[in-house]
Amino acid sequence: MSASAASAPTLAPEIADPRLYLDGIPHERFAEIRAVPGLAWHPYEDDGFWAVTRHADVRAVSRNPKAFSSAIGHTNLWDLEADALEARRSLIDTDAPDHTRLRRMVAGAFTPKNIRRWEDTVREITVELLDEFLSQGGGDWVDMVAAPLPIRVILSMLGVPVADADYLVELSNYLVEGTSDTQSLPPDAFGNTTELRLLPFNSPASHALFTYGDEMRAKRRAEPCDDLVTHLVKAEADGGRISRHEYRHLFHLLVFAGNETTRTAISHGAMALAANGDQWQRVLDDPGLVEPATEEIIRWATPVLHMRRTAAADCELAGTPIAAGDKVVMWYASANRDEAAYADPFRFDAGRGGNEHFAFGGGGPHLCLGAFLARLEVSVLLQEMAARRMFLEQRGEPVRMASNFVHGVLSVEMAPEAER
Amino acid sequence: MSGDLVRVAVDSERCIGGGQCEMLEPEVFLLDEDEVISSVIGSGELPRPRAEVVAHRCPGAAISIVEPQRPSE
Repeated sequence: MSASAASAPTLAPEIADPRLYLDGIPHERFAEIRAVPGLAWHPYEDDGFWAVTRHADVRAVSRNPKAFSSAIGHTNLWDLEADALEARRSLIDTDAPDHTRLRRMVAGAFTPKNIRRWEDTVREITVELLDEFLSQGGGDWVDMVAAPLPIRVILSMLGVPVADADYLVELSNYLVEGTSDTQSLPPDAFGNTTELRLLPFNSPASHALFTYGDEMRAKRRAEPCDDLVTHLVKAEADGGRISRHEYRHLFHLLVFAGNETTRTAISHGAMALAANGDQWQRVLDDPGLVEPATEEIIRWATPVLHMRRTAAADCELAGTPIAAGDKVVMWYASANRDEAAYADPFRFDAGRGGNEHFAFGGGGPHLCLGAFLARLEVSVLLQEMAARRMFLEQRGEPVRMASNFVHGVLSVEMAPEAER
Repeated sequence: MSGDLVRVAVDSERCIGGGQCEMLEPEVFLLDEDEVISSVIGSGELPRPRAEVVAHRCPGAAISIVEPQRPSE
């Protein structure tokens, strides 16, 4: 933003401090920003960003990748130095045509048609986890159900040994710390020797995940299988359709995004069902509500709170002039509670119709790759909970992550209840 | 009129292989298994409201409505 702008924009209340999110999404502050005509400016470090908080404005940014680039600056709030941006560049931080090429490398595995083939696997894992949860009389829902379900499914798709699920969830938790103010790992953890600024999430856990991906690559080069890692390894070998760098980052992204986000949806979903027993009763009474209830859980959870774009040229949004290079941040957490887009947005409504939520992004080419997988996992979980007539009772407050980027829940105690 | 049939087209350069079109309108769109690019199959015609939905849902903005056809019976 030019400091000499003719009329100073409205300043947004603080929404970027990760510690705010320890008490949940600061919805009142977002409501305040949504009410500002045009866009509000949010100071951040020595610069700032435009806070895009309304549903319609998020859609406009998300669906215009030419004007609002993913490749410039960074897709998180802070800018990266040029060498760090290149070292860390993944599918998330690219524009067409690189994005289109990389996306197609993995898109085939995640189409609605191909995701349906995983339904039996998802159900098998879900049944095992739910039955264990019931036999233990409950416990930490994150540890017992929400975390193991998605990681086991994505590892099955990748062809990674499910025995390593706990280790990879642990790495994912360290990665998320990189979006907060706390890093519990020393820089040389996991034998890391790379400068942290060159690693995704500034985290030595990225080094560990890259190393793990390299080992999988070596295994599948020696012995190809019918799995996603083999597919990527072949794409790299076959005329270099992807580079070594791109392989490492795709593996990193698939493991991380394939488990952390759906874990968050399932954690918040359980809390929503525990707090809204009447809505869960509706689903039990009408299995046709599994689908809208799945969408509502995903809207309710909004596992990724924001993504940033950067203006490629001078433009205008919601009547506010934006200068080339300005950071433009889409707050999905706010768009998914926009009074203009939803009737009674703060009500958890298992039968909500016309639920065009932005939990998978606001549309456009960066739409969540795993959207149909996430929907399958949540809907199978609901079906199996319904088959057991299982109600949840939440015991105490959840432990949330101090992150403005992911809506993470570290633990939440739940007990199963027989039908009310 | 809402019953009008329109023809749809896929810009293969923009297609990111999301598969939304194939899910919504399997009679009209087919995703190539290897290239993961959508193409139009059959008549390529849809009632206008359905064509608008599938064009709107396409994450790559690769689907367009090219020409109005005859009104439906």
